[in-house]
Amino acid sequence: MLTRFHLELIFAACVFAIGAVGLYGSLELDTGWASDGPQAGFFPFRVALILMAGAVLVAIQAVRARAKLRPIAITDRAGMRRILWFGLPIIGMVALAQWLGLYVAMAVYLLATIRLGGRRPWHTSLGVAAGVTLVTFVVFEWWFQVPLLKGPLEIMLGLA
Amino acid sequence: MLSNLDSLMHGFSVALTAYHIMLIVGGVLLGILVGVLPGLGAPNGVTLLLPLTFTMDPVSAIILLTSLYWGALFGGSTTSILFNIPGEPSSVATTFDGYPLARQGRATEALTYAFLSAGFGALVGIIVITLLSTAVASFALRFGPPEYFAVYLLAFSSFIAFGGGTPLKTIIALALGFGFGMMGTDTVSGAMRLTFDVPDLIRGISFLVVVIGLFGLGELLLTIEEGPEFKGANGRIDPREILRTAARMPRYWAAMLRGSAVGVWMGITPGGPTAASFMSYGIARRVSRNGANFGKGEPEGVIAPETADHSAGTAAMLPMLSLGIPGSATSAVMLGGLMIWGLNPGPMLFVEQHDFVWGMIASMYLGNVIGVVLALATVPLFAAMLSVSFAIIGPIIVTVCLVGAYTVANAGFDLWLAVLFGVMGYMMKKLDYPLAPMVLAMVIGDKAEDAFRQSMLLSNGSVTILWSNWLVGTLTSIALLFLLWPVVAMLLGRRRASRAAMAAARQGEAV
Repeated sequence: MLTRFHLELIFAACVFAIGAVGLYGSLELDTGWASDGPQAGFFPFRVALILMAGAVLVAIQAVRARAKLRPIAITDRAGMRRILWFGLPIIGMVALAQWLGLYVAMAVYLLATIRLGGRRPWHTSLGVAAGVTLVTFVVFEWWFQVPLLKGPLEIMLGLA
Repeated sequence: MLSNLDSLMHGFSVALTAYHIMLIVGGVLLGILVGVLPGLGAPNGVTLLLPLTFTMDPVSAIILLTSLYWGALFGGSTTSILFNIPGEPSSVATTFDGYPLARQGRATEALTYAFLSAGFGALVGIIVITLLSTAVASFALRFGPPEYFAVYLLAFSSFIAFGGGTPLKTIIALALGFGFGMMGTDTVSGAMRLTFDVPDLIRGISFLVVVIGLFGLGELLLTIEEGPEFKGANGRIDPREILRTAARMPRYWAAMLRGSAVGVWMGITPGGPTAASFMSYGIARRVSRNGANFGKGEPEGVIAPETADHSAGTAAMLPMLSLGIPGSATSAVMLGGLMIWGLNPGPMLFVEQHDFVWGMIASMYLGNVIGVVLALATVPLFAAMLSVSFAIIGPIIVTVCLVGAYTVANAGFDLWLAVLFGVMGYMMKKLDYPLAPMVLAMVIGDKAEDAFRQSMLLSNGSVTILWSNWLVGTLTSIALLFLLWPVVAMLLGRRRASRAAMAAARQGEAV
C-alpha cells in the first residue's frame, strides 16, 4: 500500500529529477555574473541547485520521521481504484484528441466514462456526450470564434 | 482621503453602466456555478474565462473576472453547508458548523449567516482598499527597477514567513514555479532557456495551463478519491427565516469584526483566503463564549470563517493592483490577465489607469451586494443541480478543464501538460506542499528577474543598489528578514523553550 512516507520520497525524487534536468539545461547557457549583472543561465542554475538540495532535505526529513509517516495511508484500495478509473480515461482522451481532435475525443470520453464508469443507461450517456460536445462547438466555434483542435472527422464534414 | 471618495464616485460612474452590471450579474452567476462544482474553483474559473476576455476592454474584463471570483467565494459556501463538500478550499472551515446546522433543519439560517457575514467581510476589505490605495500609490513615482525587485522579493519571502506550511516545502514550491516560469525565451538576452530543443517548449509553459492542472484536475482527483456522494440537507429556502436571521446578525458583531481583521491582514500579506478562514475559525473557537458549541452547529462557527474568507479575498486585490503582488492564487491569475491586457500592475496603475482601478473598486461594492442576493436566490437551483450524480458532472468538468487548457495557446501539447500538472497537484496537495506560491512564482518570477537584471545594469553589477535609498533599503531588509524568518523563529523558539525548561528545572528544585 502507498503510504505518506513513500509518496514523500517519490515526490522528492521527482523534484530532484526536475532540478537535475534544469541544471543540465542551464549549463548550456552562461551561468556567470558579468559586469552587467547576472547572465541568462545565472538564475536557472541556482534554482536547479535549490530544487535538488530541497528534494534531498525533504527526503532526509521523511526518513527521519518514517515511524510517524509510515502508518499514514495516502489512500485505500477503493480510493486508488476510483482514481485510476477516473484518471486513465483522461489520459486516453488527451491521446485521442491529438489525432482525432478535441470534439471527437470529448464525445468518446464522455460516452465511455458515463456508460462504463458511471453505469448510466445508454440514452443518458449518449445524450450528455452529444449535448456537451454540441454546446462546446457552438460556444467556441461560433459564439467566441475560438477554434478548437480538429481532426479528420471535422475535415470530412467540411467544418474545419 | 477626500480625493479617494472623489475617485470612488468616478469609479461608480464607470461601473454603473448597463453593460457592466450585466457583466457583474453574469460573472457572479458563473462564479457561483464554478464555486458550487467541486474541482472547479475560483483560480480555475478565472483561468478558464481569461482567454475569452483578451478582446475586451480591460475595465470590463477585470469586472467580469472579479465578479466571478466573488461568486465563486459565495458558491463554495453553499455546498459546504448543504452537502458537507467544500466547493472551494477556502470554505472548508465553513463545513465544521455549517453542515451540522443544516442537518438540524436550519439550512436557511446557516446560509443566511454565511452569505451576510461574507458580504460584510467583503465590504470591510473593499473599504480598506478604498482608503489605502492612494497612499500606496503615492509611492508611484519613486519606483524604479530596484524597488520593484525588492517588492517582488518581499512577496516571495512573505510566503515563506506567513504562508503557512513548512518553509522547506514553500521554498520547493516557489523554486518549481521559478523553474517552469523561466522556460522559453529569456526577455533580457533573447536566449532560449531550458527548452531542450523541444519546439513546444519555445513558448514556455503558460501558468494558465499549470493552474488548470494543479487546481482543476488535481482537485478533481482528490474529490473522486473520497467517493463523493451528494447526500445533502434540504436546499429549500424560507424568505421569512432569512429576515429573522438577518435581524439576529448584529448580535455577532464581535465575531464579524475579528474575522474581518484576520481576513484583511491575511489578504494583504499573501496568506490567502484559505489560511484566513481556518485562522479565524480557530481564534473564534478559543475566544467565543460559545466555544464549546463549535463543531455542533454554532452560528459563530459559520460567521467567523466566512467573514475572514471574503475579506481576505477582496483585500488581496490591494497588493495586486498597487504593488503587482498577488495575495492569493486567484489574484495571481488576474495579475497575469492584467499583463496580457497590456496593463502594467504596480503603483503607476493608479496614476495612468484611473478608470480601470476605480471602476474595478466600485464594481467590487456592487459585485458583492449582488453576490449576496444572487447566492441566496440560487440556492435551490444549484442544490438541485448537485443531485445529478458526480458520475456525470465529473467527466463534464474534465472536458471543460481540457478545453480551457487548449484555448490558452491552441496547442495540443498543453493538454498533456495539464494532465501532468494534475498529477503533480494531487501529490502536492497530499503532501501539504502549498500551491499558491508556485503559481505566484510562475506569474511574477520572470518580472522579478527582469527587475533584478535591470537594476544590475543600472549599478554595473553591484547589489548595493538594493540599499541605495531608504525606500528600497527598507523593502529589501524586510524581505531578507522574512526570508530568514524560519531560522529566526527557530532561534527564538529554542531560546523560549530553553528558558521554559530552565524555569521548570528551578521549580523542580524548589519542590
